[in-house]
Amino acid sequence: MSLLVIAPLLVAVTTAVLTLALGRRPGIQRATSVVGVLGYVGTVSAAVWTLVLGPAAPGAAVYQVGGWPAPFGITLVLDGLSAFMLTIAAGVGIASILFSIRYVTPENQRVYYHPLFHMLLVGVTGAFLTGDLFNLFVWFEVMLIASYVFVAFYGTDRATAASFRYLVMNVFGSALMLIAVGGLYATTGTLNMADMARRLAAPDAYGIDPAPVVGLSALLLAVFALKAGLVPFQFWVPGAYTAAPTPITAMFAGVTKKVGMYAIVRLYFTVFAAAAVPVDLFGMTAASPLAFLAPVLGAMGAASIVVGGFGAVGQDRLEGVFAYSSVGQVGFIAVPVAIAAAADPAGTLRGAAVAAALVFALHHALAKGLLFLSVGAIEDATDTDRLRELGGLADRSPVLSGAVFVGLLSLMGLPPLAGFFGKLLAFDAAVRGLASDPGVAPALALVALLLGAVLTILYATRVWIVGFWGRETPAVEAASVDSGQVAVLVALAAAVVLVGVGFDPVYRFAETAATAALDGEAYVEVVGLEGGDGA
Amino acid sequence: MSVALAIAVGGLFAVGTFLLLQRDLIRVVLGVAVVSQATFVYLIAMGGIDEGARDLVPVLDTHGGGVPEIADPVVQALVLTAIVISFGTTALALVLSYRAYEENETMDVTEWAR
Repeated sequence: MSLLVIAPLLVAVTTAVLTLALGRRPGIQRATSVVGVLGYVGTVSAAVWTLVLGPAAPGAAVYQVGGWPAPFGITLVLDGLSAFMLTIAAGVGIASILFSIRYVTPENQRVYYHPLFHMLLVGVTGAFLTGDLFNLFVWFEVMLIASYVFVAFYGTDRATAASFRYLVMNVFGSALMLIAVGGLYATTGTLNMADMARRLAAPDAYGIDPAPVVGLSALLLAVFALKAGLVPFQFWVPGAYTAAPTPITAMFAGVTKKVGMYAIVRLYFTVFAAAAVPVDLFGMTAASPLAFLAPVLGAMGAASIVVGGFGAVGQDRLEGVFAYSSVGQVGFIAVPVAIAAAADPAGTLRGAAVAAALVFALHHALAKGLLFLSVGAIEDATDTDRLRELGGLADRSPVLSGAVFVGLLSLMGLPPLAGFFGKLLAFDAAVRGLASDPGVAPALALVALLLGAVLTILYATRVWIVGFWGRETPAVEAASVDSGQVAVLVALAAAVVLVGVGFDPVYRFAETAATAALDGEAYVEVVGLEGGDGA
Repeated sequence: MSVALAIAVGGLFAVGTFLLLQRDLIRVVLGVAVVSQATFVYLIAMGGIDEGARDLVPVLDTHGGGVPEIADPVVQALVLTAIVISFGTTALALVLSYRAYEENETMDVTEWAR
């Protein structure tokens, strides 16, 4: 039991309330907001260091909300996986808020920008920390309601239409999630994830019939894939991403999308992996829902890579290119997860593949955050993000262009940037998956990754050649780049380089996270189920 | 009882889905509300609502022992939370639909800007 587990959540909630109350004092409101995010980064670092990574760290810790013992109360769990995701959220969050201060007009910031930003952070943090299935639904809703408002933020015809579509689709997704949660509760008699894992591992001892878990977990997969924007649920991504203010788009691409992937990894690998449920569907026979996850998620991931890649190549606006690119890059996270699901539970491949997905998630959060923020800076300076109205930016603003260049190279996967290791590990997992199980599906996964890598090079090169080289267009000649914005971009670019250069500790962190994700028994032990019969 | 509930849930989902697929803005908002209600009925049903049967209540059956025969309190707490969230979301949907209607100048959602 440690107060540090809940500290990031408390800091974010407090800041949201304070910034709401300070709406009449814009200067103080902005300062509070920045201090709040700094406090968030501080508490996340402190919690991650003292509880997970540090020399004397226990590796994981829980906070039982209200002092109610698990499985009756809500449990917050900070283990390696949560710590890794929270670190990503903190990193993107600080860059996004600092950029927002210089980018969003003071009138727009005044109203609800800062409170909503912190509520978005609250929802994300809660989703990463919670150890309760229904509570996960609640945090999703907190995150989504803030997102709806941000998508509609500028109130134009396109923004309101995109927000309305996003809302309707997510309400339907939430209804499906509630059905899955209710069904799992009726099946296993618990909502606590650790308790559920324990019960599913020994269904006879607890007198439950785990057969419905296969279908219910598939329903959850659909909901999480929708949140992550995997094909065939990718259609909302471009509309919502281009409508939201760009610092928020950086948060969407860097953090809220990862919540969907996190939920898939957490529920399937930590909770459902131990379930001894014979699956006999569509000619497939397997021993656990994980085997069912592998082909489905693999196909979704591969399709995302292809659709996102081709979509990005054809876009005429920078924001559109990167929005489609996000669809493709989430596929690069999904494919290693699918490989992990197909891998032998006893082998080393499963852990390595999950670690690959996590490293790619970190790379994507940093690089795509950087690129979306640069789109904001370019738009602010030139009043356009249409590729044909841009050109010669490299001459006009070498520092801004340099930062974008680092982001694009990282997307392509050039050493020694963060993206190189993300791609290297993803390909390594795919090749090892093919070697351990030579067949059509692993081969297709590898082909999709290769095609995705080629398409990434294609659209990244196109963005650079059209937008940054060549003669300066009238829009670019009239541009004046804000130095505060560029400072944030340079810092993010430095982070992309640093993660690549000093990759060893990053990889060890990702390995810790992957181990935590795969070790359901340790998770159950940490939560310490005191209540109920089975204790 | 469970057959009646199953029919109610199925009917609500059918109506909600039908409304969601309409072109008219207000019907879509109503569809959002009806689909949410369908899940609430479903959630309550998941607590096992046959009269006085402790062994049908998951939390009592597996954790209790010597508990009086009562309805499952967990699903009721879940539904209460879900209703509050749904209320907020529906209110936001209504406000948003009005603003989107003003900006796009049509009630037909298929004609809205992309």
